Amino acid sequence: MKSRQTRCRAFLSLLGVMGMLGLAILAIPLKAEEAKPATAVAAAPAPVPLTDKDLSGLAGPKSEDIAAKGDPGAELTGTISDVAVGDAKKGLTLADVVNQVGQNKVAINFVWTLITGFLVMFMQAGFALVETGLCRAKNANHTMMMNFMVYGFGLFAYWVCGFALQMGGSAPVANLGGAYPLNGEFTKTLFGKPWGLFGTRGFFLSGATYDVGVMVLFLFQMVFMDTAATIVTGGCAERWKYSAFAVSTIPLAAVVYPLFGNWAWGGGWLSQLGVNFGLGHGYCDFAGSGVVHAVGGITALAVAMQLGPRIGKYNRDGTPNVIPGHDLAFVLLGCFILAFGWFGFNPGSTLGASGNGALRIGSIAVNTMLAGCTGSFGALFYMWIRYGKPDASMAGNGLLAGLVAITAPSGFVNSMGAVIIGWVAGIVVCLAVEFFDRVPKIDDPVGAISVHGVNGLWGVLSVGLFADGRSNYGGSWNGVPGSVKGVFYGDPGQLVAQLIGIATLVGAIFSLSFIFNWIVDVVVGQRAGAKAELAGLDLPEMGALCYPDFVLKAGEYGAAGASTVSEPAFAKR
Amino acid sequence: MRIAGLVLIVGGWLLAVGGLFITPSNIGRGLIACLGIAISLMGNLGVLNKYYLARAIWKK
Repeated sequence: MKSRQTRCRAFLSLLGVMGMLGLAILAIPLKAEEAKPATAVAAAPAPVPLTDKDLSGLAGPKSEDIAAKGDPGAELTGTISDVAVGDAKKGLTLADVVNQVGQNKVAINFVWTLITGFLVMFMQAGFALVETGLCRAKNANHTMMMNFMVYGFGLFAYWVCGFALQMGGSAPVANLGGAYPLNGEFTKTLFGKPWGLFGTRGFFLSGATYDVGVMVLFLFQMVFMDTAATIVTGGCAERWKYSAFAVSTIPLAAVVYPLFGNWAWGGGWLSQLGVNFGLGHGYCDFAGSGVVHAVGGITALAVAMQLGPRIGKYNRDGTPNVIPGHDLAFVLLGCFILAFGWFGFNPGSTLGASGNGALRIGSIAVNTMLAGCTGSFGALFYMWIRYGKPDASMAGNGLLAGLVAITAPSGFVNSMGAVIIGWVAGIVVCLAVEFFDRVPKIDDPVGAISVHGVNGLWGVLSVGLFADGRSNYGGSWNGVPGSVKGVFYGDPGQLVAQLIGIATLVGAIFSLSFIFNWIVDVVVGQRAGAKAELAGLDLPEMGALCYPDFVLKAGEYGAAGASTVSEPAFAKR
Repeated sequence: MRIAGLVLIVGGWLLAVGGLFITPSNIGRGLIACLGIAISLMGNLGVLNKYYLARAIWKK
């Protein structure tokens, strides 16, 4: 026993000595750094202005050399020979060099914005997998086809008028070379203040908006709009008539989304709350927690309310039943694809990788991954503690909730802020799913309202709390000099601006979505018939099963095999 | 009932925006905005949803 104690003590002492040694090793460079005398900065040589003469003697590699030997070491490619010359007679001039620098900057930003836009486009695949996986097998074709065609319907409507209403009056985007043709904002002066309401340039991308910078901006904004539109299909899955879905997408893409997009991003009244009313930097939404996710989630709420719950979701006494999805692997794979696409969503929203603080893309990308990570933690641990199991679908929803919430603040907060925002989002999504299930009894098969609507609003609010005042995108934001600060960093006005944004989403955007879909309900009819719903929408609505070779087993709530499920009395409506 | 719900929802939003002209203080504007949000939520999750819940398929 004694020898064991001695051995223990010896081991602890050894650990102690090693620890001291480690600390000493760590301290040496620190001390050495502290001990460094302040050296005087060597006086920089006075700048000598370059002239065309300085360039006349410069020569690139000989083309014959490259033709004969190639350039395996990349030493001869990308030299002075590759700078475009304006006038061959004059040869290379300083103006040519400066023009090339400007074009390189814009080229980097074009490529960055386009590639991140392509990433966001790929998120459609993630949404399709998540939503289809969370639905029953008998509705898989229907759900997949809504996600597939929302891209086409939305794109067309946005090209016709959505983009013009949203961005037709936006300020020139310096990172994309100006995009000057977008210079028409319909503005009304009320109570002595200008209120930008919608843009007026860029319908059909015609006229002066047939411009390279405008095209890049269109592509990027279009895929954002499509993300909002595809959120709705999840909240309304398994009972939405396909024709109603097709018609309902048009007003969302053409009017509802673009209006809020204009107010927040296109130079509209929300973005001017700082200039006009002294509220921080006006409504700030870096990549669209509000513009994209809350608009999508709130529209899903308006339509899901009109549709009513799926047959079997609630018992006659109003208690909810869980209707499990058919493929968890789809769900988690879809979540990963979405998380990957989010690196386009948030860092891409700088609209460039060069100039005007665009190098902050590194910080934005890290914030994005951190919030997604802590979002999944929050949801996983909440479900584990509350229900005793680490629920896979809610862990996936937690990841998405964290990503949704960080979307607005990603460009304005530090990594600690991102961790907190994501964690809160992960817990909020679980509480919101339970709330919508039990209190207002709004059936949301995939949790779209909770993930995108509720956490979109949380993301908007969190800008007003956590923005740390360290970002700098060209010295000002929304026309207000300086960087965006939340209430924890000394600007309560920013929080008020965010609250006005939330009120607009919950009030104006909900109302618009509700009215448009009310009209769709009257004209087309929103809900599929009860018989079709019980059979599964694949055959009655789409004419083809997603899994024709599988024998689908009947479940307690008509999970798959329609013919074997007894039809309740209320199905004959 | 649906119209009443919509009136509440839009009214809440207008109150939040109107708060900008009612008081210049951030606290005052913030409180009015919160009140506006609450009214809008009451309109959609309360009044409007109640209309649709009364006609829910599981109650038939």
